[in-house]
Amino acid sequence: MSSSNKRQSILPRIQSGPKAPVNFSSSITIADSAQLTGNHTINISSESVVHPRAKLDSANGRITIGRRCIVHERTNIGAVSADPTPSESRDGVVVSDYATVEVGVVIESGGTVIGEGCHVGVGSRIGKGAQLGKHCVLTPKSVIRPGEVVPDFTVVYSNGTRRLDKRGMIDLKNKAQARQIEVLRKLIPSNPAKFQS
Amino acid sequence: MSRKPVKGEYIETDTGNKVARKAVLVGTQHIMLGGKTVIQADAMIRGDLARTSQPSSTSGAAPGAAPGSNTAVAIGRYCFLSKGCCLRPPGRIYKGSFTYLPLRLGDHVFVGEGTVVQAATVGSHVHIGQNVVIGEFAIIKDYVRVLDGAVVPPNMVIPSFSIVAGQPARVVGEVPEGGHEAFELRELYKTVGNNPQPLPV
Amino acid sequence: MASFTPYTYIQCPCHDSAVQGRTADDASPTVSHELDEDDDDHAFDPRAHRSTFSLYPLEYLLYCDVCHQIRCPRCVSEELVTIYCPNCLFEVGSSSLKTEGNRSTNPRAFFAQLQKLRYGEDQSKHVVSGDTSPTKPDSIPDTNKARFAALKSFYGSQTINANPSAGLSGLGDYGLSSPGALTRIMSIYSGNNMNGLKQKNKHAIMREADSTNEGFRLVDLDESSAISQLRRDGWDGTATSAQGKTQVEEGAQFADQLWPIPYLLRTKRSKRCPVCRHIISKPEPKVSNTRWRIRLAANNNAIPTISIKPLNLLPGSGSGSGLLNPLRPAQFLLTFKNPLFDDVKVTLATPATTPGRFASRVTVLCPEFSIDANPDNDMYLDDVLKDGEKERQRQRGDEGIHQAEAGKIWDRGRNWVSIVVEVVPASLRIEPPPALLRKEGDPEQDLSPLREDEDVLEIPMFVRLEWESEASHDQVGAATTRDKDAKEKRELAYWCAIGIGRISQE
Repeated sequence: MSSSNKRQSILPRIQSGPKAPVNFSSSITIADSAQLTGNHTINISSESVVHPRAKLDSANGRITIGRRCIVHERTNIGAVSADPTPSESRDGVVVSDYATVEVGVVIESGGTVIGEGCHVGVGSRIGKGAQLGKHCVLTPKSVIRPGEVVPDFTVVYSNGTRRLDKRGMIDLKNKAQARQIEVLRKLIPSNPAKFQS
Repeated sequence: MSRKPVKGEYIETDTGNKVARKAVLVGTQHIMLGGKTVIQADAMIRGDLARTSQPSSTSGAAPGAAPGSNTAVAIGRYCFLSKGCCLRPPGRIYKGSFTYLPLRLGDHVFVGEGTVVQAATVGSHVHIGQNVVIGEFAIIKDYVRVLDGAVVPPNMVIPSFSIVAGQPARVVGEVPEGGHEAFELRELYKTVGNNPQPLPV
Repeated sequence: MASFTPYTYIQCPCHDSAVQGRTADDASPTVSHELDEDDDDHAFDPRAHRSTFSLYPLEYLLYCDVCHQIRCPRCVSEELVTIYCPNCLFEVGSSSLKTEGNRSTNPRAFFAQLQKLRYGEDQSKHVVSGDTSPTKPDSIPDTNKARFAALKSFYGSQTINANPSAGLSGLGDYGLSSPGALTRIMSIYSGNNMNGLKQKNKHAIMREADSTNEGFRLVDLDESSAISQLRRDGWDGTATSAQGKTQVEEGAQFADQLWPIPYLLRTKRSKRCPVCRHIISKPEPKVSNTRWRIRLAANNNAIPTISIKPLNLLPGSGSGSGLLNPLRPAQFLLTFKNPLFDDVKVTLATPATTPGRFASRVTVLCPEFSIDANPDNDMYLDDVLKDGEKERQRQRGDEGIHQAEAGKIWDRGRNWVSIVVEVVPASLRIEPPPALLRKEGDPEQDLSPLREDEDVLEIPMFVRLEWESEASHDQVGAATTRDKDAKEKRELAYWCAIGIGRISQE
């Protein structure tokens, strides 16, 4: 890029579905190029950050993002599951407080719950109706099968092994999350109005 | 950058960069391309995640003023960013506050399809396969081959002439003496763009 | 079925120790012998079990320019140039290697390991305890390593007291290079004759180690605590055998006994030709320097690269499946690219049918051709000239009705030539031959089911290269006295195995 380039970003347009009804807290940060589609409500609670090109799809159920969550780029929250059976839950996906959803993560819709303080690693896939306990860590490219229940404090490795992490550094982790959000608010131009209209 | 009258798939700059129109570059003022670099469609670069220790350089700064003073992603010459890959600077808590630090790529770096790179440094003559994840603050030295599907853990240092694979990635072999030339990307550069040439024999 | 990438593996002459010692001068007569007599010893079967150990991809081979022969990683002798830690990239002196072992002792490397563990990336199950300050590994009390050192020094002092010049004092450090080594060895083998007189005077009693300071420890046979821990933590609490093996301290049974492992050190090595001892590969000693002082890679210094491409001329030969149809002829383009700055004459030979149970027919349409020299590697020049060349090629392509013809090359360029190979893949059906055709005393047919990779059509090919180059560098003195342009005839011959594709099993 030469210095004469006036545009701050090159963001080609993308096809998107129907505009989803949203319910935003006033303190969230959501990038202009995030994609919110579907016909159920998308709730995003206070101080959460949605990166550019993140895709939240509520076509198959409500999407709820808790407080101080970070949803990175190219995530697909509320993806359609290959399993056609209708889910009992009214919720599509619930991402609890202080959770981080890394680049390229796919979370299938249908009563799927990401527990508080979970860290879902780059490129992971979480099946329909799976429930991650509190403070779980998924290493990159991990796969959680549909309907699986992962106990609290589990570390899931993509090579198939798991362990429990009982160190309990929750406060430290939450503090770090808050710091990261502070910085992201400065870096990502937020445009919640685009989605609320 | 002036729009050319005939729209090709790529935007070709004066320094020979070929950037696909469908590439996603966020925060271009913080992205430095060394020249002759190919960025394919759907490749994403997060230039907006720049270092925050200099407070003035965020959103309001004039893009014309001293580019690269706060570079978030620096890319050398003859790099090749395949479809759907993603380059983003690594971030960490430093002295009590969170900051992103620049991601630097050397020359002749190939990044495969769907790969996510959050390294601190990637040397020259490095081949990163497809669907690889390079963890935050990893350091990859020159002449390294990362095989498809590998997950390089955060902070890992990969010394020169290593072949790396697996989840988590480990050194599985050494680049042989006769394998150095295969990292060269000059020929590959010519095969893409608005006027692509076939690979020579 | 997995996709198939065509490949070329080249046989290193080290598979046959007789060939290894052959010099360039007597190479030619033997080579021509091999070609016309179908010598059993030299008809090469890439599927033979021994072949696996001598076939290498071209990049892995080196070329000794004194012996004019191919050398492989298996036959070269390696010498350490630099030892370094792969994590902090600092050089490790050979002296600290002796005392500390083949592991990184840099605390930074250790911290990095811990960091990784904390992040939960490493496979190790070790959980770093609540406070994150790492315990240094050498402060672990009563480690096996420390006990061994204590035992060693104790028994060392015992033997020295008993017999100052006896060989056992050098137990840990074999010290064969020290001047006393010969004396010590002699004293071992000559039954103490040499210093027998001294020996008789000393009859100090040697005792066994009996205190913890001397490395003594009573075995704890009470396993109840281990059993209760197993009950409490279950399967997840145990260390896997792989984890146990990689531990520096032995005997980890539970996950909480696992420790971060210091990095195994890495080396930079130079390589010598096993025959003439000349160095054929030598990296720069500095860790950060990626240049090489000597790098005689075979693909840059002798052997043309062979690339394989199907030639879709016959309808049906390149079906969508990517598999070869049995009994249907298929043509392939082999492109030879010359790395040398001299013209090379190439002669190819293949057996008429591939070895093994399923014999496919192979015909090389043009077994003799020459390739032009590699132009100077000037990128700029290359770019300028290439366009003109392309044009010429195009014209040539338009002129002739391009059809594979026996005795003619398919295409040629600056430093490459393509030729056509026709194969008739064998049928993979396994059935006994009709009784009528069977002769008395015929060996029993192998009717076992298809083995792994037996469906790959692999052609053994003998390649002989001939070229003229400037007189070799090791005779500089001689060369300067003679005419500078004096050319030397070179020859190189080798077997290679070319994997063309998989045969369909229908």
